Amino acid sequence: MLGRCPVNDLTLAAYQTRYSLVGFLRNPRAFVFTVIMPLFLLVILSTIFENLTSFIGTKTAAIYYTPAIVSYQMMLAGFNSLNQSVVADREAGLLKRFRGTPMPSWIYLTAEIVRTIAVVICAVVVLVLVGIIFYHVKVAADTVVGLAVYTVIGTAAMCALGLAVTRVCSNTDEAAVVGVFPTLILAFISGVFVPEKLLPAWLKDIGLVFPLEHLAKGLRMAFVARASTGITAEDIGVLALWGIVGIVVAIRTFRWEPVGGR
Amino acid sequence: MQTVIEVRDLRKSYGDVERLHGISFDVQAGQIFGFLGTNGVGKTTTIEILEGYRSRNSGKVSVLGTDPAHAGRAWRNRVGLVLQESELDPVYTVRETVAMFARYFKAPTAIDRTIIAAGLSDRADERIGRLSGGEKRRVDVALGLVGDPEVLFLDEPTTGLDPAARREMWTMIEGLRDAGKTIFLTTHYMDEAQHLSDHIIILRAGSIAAEGSPDELSHKLGSTSIVSFVLPPGLTSAQLGAGIEASMDVNAGLVRFRTDALQRDLAALLRWAEREGVQLLNLQVTQPTLDDVFVELAESPQDIEPDVGSMPGE
Repeated sequence: MLGRCPVNDLTLAAYQTRYSLVGFLRNPRAFVFTVIMPLFLLVILSTIFENLTSFIGTKTAAIYYTPAIVSYQMMLAGFNSLNQSVVADREAGLLKRFRGTPMPSWIYLTAEIVRTIAVVICAVVVLVLVGIIFYHVKVAADTVVGLAVYTVIGTAAMCALGLAVTRVCSNTDEAAVVGVFPTLILAFISGVFVPEKLLPAWLKDIGLVFPLEHLAKGLRMAFVARASTGITAEDIGVLALWGIVGIVVAIRTFRWEPVGGR
Repeated sequence: MQTVIEVRDLRKSYGDVERLHGISFDVQAGQIFGFLGTNGVGKTTTIEILEGYRSRNSGKVSVLGTDPAHAGRAWRNRVGLVLQESELDPVYTVRETVAMFARYFKAPTAIDRTIIAAGLSDRADERIGRLSGGEKRRVDVALGLVGDPEVLFLDEPTTGLDPAARREMWTMIEGLRDAGKTIFLTTHYMDEAQHLSDHIIILRAGSIAAEGSPDELSHKLGSTSIVSFVLPPGLTSAQLGAGIEASMDVNAGLVRFRTDALQRDLAALLRWAEREGVQLLNLQVTQPTLDDVFVELAESPQDIEPDVGSMPGE
C-alpha cells in the first residue's frame, strides 16, 4: 500500500503514545483511580494486618500486600481504566474520527496499551518505594527481574482483556460496572485483599482460573521467596493465554463507532 | 470539468428496509455540493458510504477515482472529514490536537496556517474544553483541513452555532472553495445551502427529489410569486380577499398565498382592500426561495422513516 513505511509508523506510534500519556496525566480521575488509590490500599491493608502476620504467613503484612496491591493496580489500570477510557473515546466519536484519518488502527491500540504499561511502571515504582521506605520491604535483584517480567506481561494481558470487553459496554456507565465488578470480586478470591491462607480451597480454585491470582502469586513469590524471580511457567502461561484470548477477541469485535450510531 | 465524486444507482438496506432507492449524482471538482434532506431520508447513510464508514448493497460509488468501501491509507490522505457529532478530548489544546492530527497525514499543511485558516489563532493554546461551541466546530474544520485534502466532507458544519459564528463559517467555507477544494456539504439551513452551494440535491425518502443550482431550484415552482401581508385586525382568514383563487395560509398573524397569476390576484386583493377599507400592512411580493422549494419537495411527513440510529448497525 502506498505511503506505508514501518519506521515512520513506529515514530507515529511513539507520538501517539506520548499524546495519550499527556491526556492521561491531565485527567485527574484516571490518575487518582490508577495511581493514588492503590497507594492508599497498600497503606491501609498493611496497617490493618500489621499484627496478624500469623494469618498471612509472611514476616510482615507489607511484604504480602506490596506485591498483592501491585497486581491489583495492574488490573485496575489495564482492565478497568483502559476499558473505560476507550469506551469514552468511542462514545465521544473520537475513535470514529481517528478511523477517518490515514492513521492505521493498530497505532491507536498500541499507543493505548503502551501508555497504560508506562503508567503502571511508574505506579509500581512508587508502590514498591513506599514498601521499601516505610515498611522495610526487601527487594533483591531477583525481585526486580520478576517484577519487571510480571509488570509487562501482566499489564499487557489486562490491557488485552480491557480492550476485549469494550464491545459489550455501550457507554461509560456500563464500562464502570463491567470494569469494577470482576476486579473487586477477583481481588477477594485471588489473595489480594484477603490473605490467601484464609481462603477456602474451593474459592482459591476458582481464583486460579483467572489471571489476577497468577499475577498476584507470581509477584508474591518474587518478593517473599529467597533467591527467586517468582517466574513460573504456570503463572506466565495462564497470563499469556488470557492475554492472547483477550487480544483476539478485541481485534475481532472492536468497534470504532459510537453504539448509539451517531 | 473533472468529476470528483460519482454515484450511480446507490442502494442501501437496513434489514428488510431499503433506505436508499438507487440514487445517482456527480460532484465536480471545485464545487460546493449541497446535499439536503430532512432527518431520516438517508442523508447520513449516503455521506457515511462516501466517507468509507458504511457498506452499501449495490451501485457504484467513486470518490477521487476510488471506491471508498475498499479505500486505504493513500485515499484517506486525500480526503478530509468534518463529522456531524464527534467530540474532541477536552484536555488537549487546539495546537496540540491539530499537530497530532497533522502527523497522521502524509503531506499536511503547516499547523499554524491551518489554525489561522480556521480562525483560531488567538485560541491556539487554549484547551478544547474551554472553547465555545463555535470555536469547537472550527477545530473540527481545522482537523478536516490539516491533511490538505482534495475533497472535504462537511456534515452540518453550522448546526448549533449562533448567527455570527455561522456567517464566519460561511466565509471560511467560501475561502476553501476559492482554494480549489471540492466540498460536500450537508445542512439543515436552506439559507446556508442557497448562499454556499454551486449545486444542490434534495433527498427525499431515499430518492433524489430535485437537483440543480440554487437558482434553478428556486424556479422549480414555476412562475410562482408569494404575496404576504399582516392579517388585518378583527378579520379571520375566511373573510379575506374576495375574488382571489389562491388559498390563503395564515401563520402567526401573517397571511401568505402563492399565485401563478400575480398581476390578476394582486389587483383583486388591492380592490378588495380598497372596497372594504382594510389596511394591508407590510404587503410584500417575493419570489420563492430555496426554503419554499424544500418545504414543497422534501417535507412530506409520511415519508420520513425512523432515524438511522435506531436501525440495526453493521
